[in-house]
Amino acid sequence: MITSQPHRLTSGGLIDRSLLLNFRFDGKTFAGFQGDTLASALIANGVKLVGRSFKYHRPRGILTAGSEEPNALVELRTGARREPNTKATTAELYDGLEAASQNRWPSLRHDLMAVNQLFSPMFVAGFYYKTFMWPAKFWEAVYEPAIRRAAGLGRAAGVADPDHYDKTWAHCDVLIAGSGPAGLAAALAAGRSGARVILCEDDFALGGRLLADGGTIDGVPAAEWISRTLAELASLPDVRIMTRTTLFGVYDGGTYGAIERVNDHLPSPPEHQVRQRLWRIVAKRSIVAAGAIERPIVFAGNDTPGVMMASAMRSYIARYAATPAKRIALFTNNDDGWRTVEAALDAGLQIAAVVDARPDVSAAHRALAAKTGFAILNGFVSGVDGGKDGVRKISISLAGGARAEVEADGLAVSGGWNPAVGLTSSHRGRPKWQDDISAFVPDGAPPDMVAAGAANGAFGLGACLRQGFAAGAAAAQSAGHSGSAGTPPVADDEAFSLTPLWHVAGKGKAFVDYQHDVTAADIELAQREGFESVEHLKRYTTLGMATDQGKTSNVAGLAIMAAISGKSIPETGTTIYRPPYVPVAIGAFAGHHRDENFHATRLTPSHHWAVEQGAVFVDTGLWKRAQWYPRAGEKDWLETVIREVKAVRSGVGFCDVSTLGKIDVHGPDAGTFLDRVYINTFSNLAVGKARYGLMLREDGMVYDDGTTSRLAEDHYFLTTTTAKAGPVMQHLEFCRQVLFPQFDVQLTSVSDQWAQFSIAGPKTRDLLREIVDPAEDLSNEGFPFMGAREVSLRGGIRARLFRISFSGEMAFEISVPARYGDALVRNLMLAGKQFGVTPYGTEALGVMRIEKGHVAGPELNGTTTAADLGLGKMMSTKKDFVGRVMAGREALVAPDRQVVVGIKPTDRARRLRSGAHVVPKGEIPGPANDQGYVTSVCFSPMLDQWIGLALVERGRERIGEIVHAHDPLRGEDYDVELCNPVFYDPDGGRQRG
Amino acid sequence: MRIVCPFCGERELGEFTCLGDAKPLRPAAGASEDEVFDYVYLRDNIAGEASEHWYHGGGCRAWLKITRNTLTHEISSVEPAAGVGARQVAK
Amino acid sequence: MAEFSWLSRSPLEHVLVVGAHGARDVAPGISLTEVRNFDLIQVMARRGKGAELANAAKVRFGMAAPDLPKAVSASDVTLIWSGPDQFLVLSKSGKHTIDILSQAFSQSASLSDQSHARALISVSGAKARAMLAKLSSLDLHPAAFPIYAAAATSIDHTSVNLWRGDDRPDGQAVFNLLVFASFAESLWHTMLDSAAEYGVDIGYSGELG
Repeated sequence: MITSQPHRLTSGGLIDRSLLLNFRFDGKTFAGFQGDTLASALIANGVKLVGRSFKYHRPRGILTAGSEEPNALVELRTGARREPNTKATTAELYDGLEAASQNRWPSLRHDLMAVNQLFSPMFVAGFYYKTFMWPAKFWEAVYEPAIRRAAGLGRAAGVADPDHYDKTWAHCDVLIAGSGPAGLAAALAAGRSGARVILCEDDFALGGRLLADGGTIDGVPAAEWISRTLAELASLPDVRIMTRTTLFGVYDGGTYGAIERVNDHLPSPPEHQVRQRLWRIVAKRSIVAAGAIERPIVFAGNDTPGVMMASAMRSYIARYAATPAKRIALFTNNDDGWRTVEAALDAGLQIAAVVDARPDVSAAHRALAAKTGFAILNGFVSGVDGGKDGVRKISISLAGGARAEVEADGLAVSGGWNPAVGLTSSHRGRPKWQDDISAFVPDGAPPDMVAAGAANGAFGLGACLRQGFAAGAAAAQSAGHSGSAGTPPVADDEAFSLTPLWHVAGKGKAFVDYQHDVTAADIELAQREGFESVEHLKRYTTLGMATDQGKTSNVAGLAIMAAISGKSIPETGTTIYRPPYVPVAIGAFAGHHRDENFHATRLTPSHHWAVEQGAVFVDTGLWKRAQWYPRAGEKDWLETVIREVKAVRSGVGFCDVSTLGKIDVHGPDAGTFLDRVYINTFSNLAVGKARYGLMLREDGMVYDDGTTSRLAEDHYFLTTTTAKAGPVMQHLEFCRQVLFPQFDVQLTSVSDQWAQFSIAGPKTRDLLREIVDPAEDLSNEGFPFMGAREVSLRGGIRARLFRISFSGEMAFEISVPARYGDALVRNLMLAGKQFGVTPYGTEALGVMRIEKGHVAGPELNGTTTAADLGLGKMMSTKKDFVGRVMAGREALVAPDRQVVVGIKPTDRARRLRSGAHVVPKGEIPGPANDQGYVTSVCFSPMLDQWIGLALVERGRERIGEIVHAHDPLRGEDYDVELCNPVFYDPDGGRQRG
Repeated sequence: MRIVCPFCGERELGEFTCLGDAKPLRPAAGASEDEVFDYVYLRDNIAGEASEHWYHGGGCRAWLKITRNTLTHEISSVEPAAGVGARQVAK
Repeated sequence: MAEFSWLSRSPLEHVLVVGAHGARDVAPGISLTEVRNFDLIQVMARRGKGAELANAAKVRFGMAAPDLPKAVSASDVTLIWSGPDQFLVLSKSGKHTIDILSQAFSQSASLSDQSHARALISVSGAKARAMLAKLSSLDLHPAAFPIYAAAATSIDHTSVNLWRGDDRPDGQAVFNLLVFASFAESLWHTMLDSAAEYGVDIGYSGELG
């Protein structure tokens, strides 16, 4: 076991030294403590080099201590759980953690790709656009494969994620982002007022900057105030504090997205638990107390490992008791940076020097320097001497023009603070510039959202508490809670004086965007080439487009652009902010909806019986439908389907048609209403009869078809196709409520109430007589073709019988209440045994409908009219109906429209394929002479050859003509004969018999 | 987005389907082809307040007329369709 | 001639396994109970007959039908609001069948039998709200969704009727769900997945309690 952590302080910090955790980085074993992040543990072990940069493969260290980190990105975990581009600065350490550096080969220390630095003139802004332009054919063969190999940072796992992710909803009055002083004060005020509060904190510990910076609140140390506050919040009934949860998006109507890393701090989630949970939070009011992000200063060598944000450096020292350096230099333009000096001195570290860009450093700081014995240099850091082993020496341009050098192994940098405006700006709100802090502050936030504390540009502790508390009280009140918020917490405000400084000109690469390797020179080049607008700058240089979304780089980038283009920063403006604020795993968005749960599945009442029969199922929308029922010894699906068809046509079979949409249409005006939605008339349908109906869209194209029966004077039972069940219900409700509200009609979906089977074949009546009560007359006279009525079954069950046929055979559809569907199918098998009853699937159903020339989905494809389908005569001329006028448009009644026609290959042995194009025989296929296409094909057991339906120009006038079928997709060309689409029993005698 | 259904209360977007512009009214039977053509196809592309038909299919199945700002998604009014529920409308 | 049996089979019969599911190291946070047999009739007022239907309902059930998203209960029946001018009548099998109700409401409403179209599942337990929050976008906080509150809403893009019944004797809230029969198995899997981390106790009852 490795226990030495050479860069760990012996006391202090918020780590639990009794819980030693072993972990591996690039194959080497280290130890850290509970309470560490991977970054703090690496620092405690003296690891400075953690990654290689994106373009130039420059050695990189840890820059920050939070989710804004652009450098310290690692592959976390191994195998199927391997996750690239994970920030070491937010990854919680656990025992057994494995991480690997990225973007290096063969190793982090000896990365051959660093040769890219020699070619760096080539990799300037826009190099893709400039370099890979010609020769054009090189793109696919050479450039793209090479770029793909070199591009990207980490490697995805490449196999399915074994963990579960969850999605859930939450509702509250007041949602708070951040648990720093402002966030906790807001939660106190809102919670005390009686509001339902949710507070989301990114970190695993609560307190925000207080965790590192401390301070005194209400006369007690910050840590004590935090624990008091948390105890009070826990005592309030409706306050929920969520750690490890990042609020990443703001959506319309007070809906927010948050990601909770439920078990990312463990090697793998415990059994039955999820890895991460996506929260959709609906809040009446929200308070963004997400703090601010310290910004770098751009100077040559600012990406050398060991150069770190000043606030991050004191976080590592104070919160994690880990020392990034022994002898620290500070480069600052503001008072806040000096706090790092104090933290370092408290920890017994050396201060090499403070380089302050301001000539007027405060007396207190001067006194500190004098007392401690370090120099304050008025000037700028202009270069860093160091490399993959860290910083060695710092070059300084002094204000007077002289140069100086300071030896140090760490450089803390503070360029000031940028309020985190990502959430307040995500509704296209543009932040506004505030001169006294030289930063953008929130503006244009949605009306139900406010920012408080550092996120609102208030950097003093006292101000954070005051703003947070006031925001919490106001939010609770406007959400309708008038309880007393009590007394606000109180603290002093620190001084914050800053002189803006963005960029120190000098030799060597000065990085603006560390993650995308965008330098100050790239921005200058972009400006010279005319990409001056911030949106152009962003896209041309890729500034801010990496996974860190430019949290440390955007403002500096546009400040540099402003300076070189002679504009002010507010004139230059910002780019649009979009969610997510931090990267969110796709798995979390999918949640439960993956693999077999990708969408809900619908099963018919006889599903499990069909499974017992060994049926093969097909997905039809959400439904599982039995496609065919293979028997032992059958060599393929075609053999099975041929058997099923022949069994029906010679004996009797049945097919589950429960998936059809079924709608009860009730009311005195039900018939008149149906006249409006169907092209044919239903008001004159006799009770006890069924009729085939066709409905159009208002543009005149066919929408759906189905059989509708009149069961009572004021009750019709309407069926739709399986696919259109939902849409037709919506359409009918639109007709009922919006288009024709005058009709007294009521609609109810009864799709799931009835199990329905089509029983077909010459022995259908024999089979039915076995299960239908003998008192029922099923004779041709007693139950004629298109009859529909309720009957009793043996055993007392009531059923509905419809004498309708899709197969062209003598057929009935029978429906029973769904809970009897399973019993019905078993009884049909039992009763039909003597007749050789055969269950058949959707494939045989399809074969028989093609043999009969019935149109279905492939013909009702949204581009066909009733006439195209050969059903033009159904269209009533005596009434209004949806689609009537538009169906009469010139182009929709043109004689050369593509209409449904049958096709047969001239070579009887040939297989047909749907999708083939129809062109006149002898013509070269092409768009100019395309005359239609094949819609449906099948092997017809009755004709013993492939047959099909096609939509062909003037098809019905061309029966007997040989045309050419051209199928470029499958590389097939063959001749087909246009024929009558009714291939089998064209006079329909079988179904009426 | 959240929509306050006049019958169900505030619900999330996923329960609703938008059909589009509610302004064009279906011409009476006997209208000319041009009138119907306009009804079917002519739509204003409104940047601002638009009147739209929405269906609460994931809830009470009421058709609603919603005034929504297409720029901000702000909803300023939600009205039930004329024939919602058992409402009587003159023939 | 063959003798036929007409076994009624609930949509969850195949998939429901009585007993414990999911986490076992905690006391079950969720109870899931299916009710297998019931009559369920959709009643929709005819145009202009809302008041007439209300009167007829009072006569038939001895209580007003809900005209807001609520459920109302008498000893042998629960009326559940399902939309404007419509409600569901849930009762023990045979009590308020479509035939009986059709006569009671023949002048004022259109009726549709839904007894076989739905599965009825009740969800209760200390973690019931946490589990339902994964399925439903509704706010089920006691203040927002009190006893007898009802909603016509969606789970997994599927329409459901959800209402709160009387609390359990131990004070835990009870949420009742009517889900479409064809979706029932699929939703059941989703519910089990959502509940697994809390520990589930699964059961069913033949008749409405």
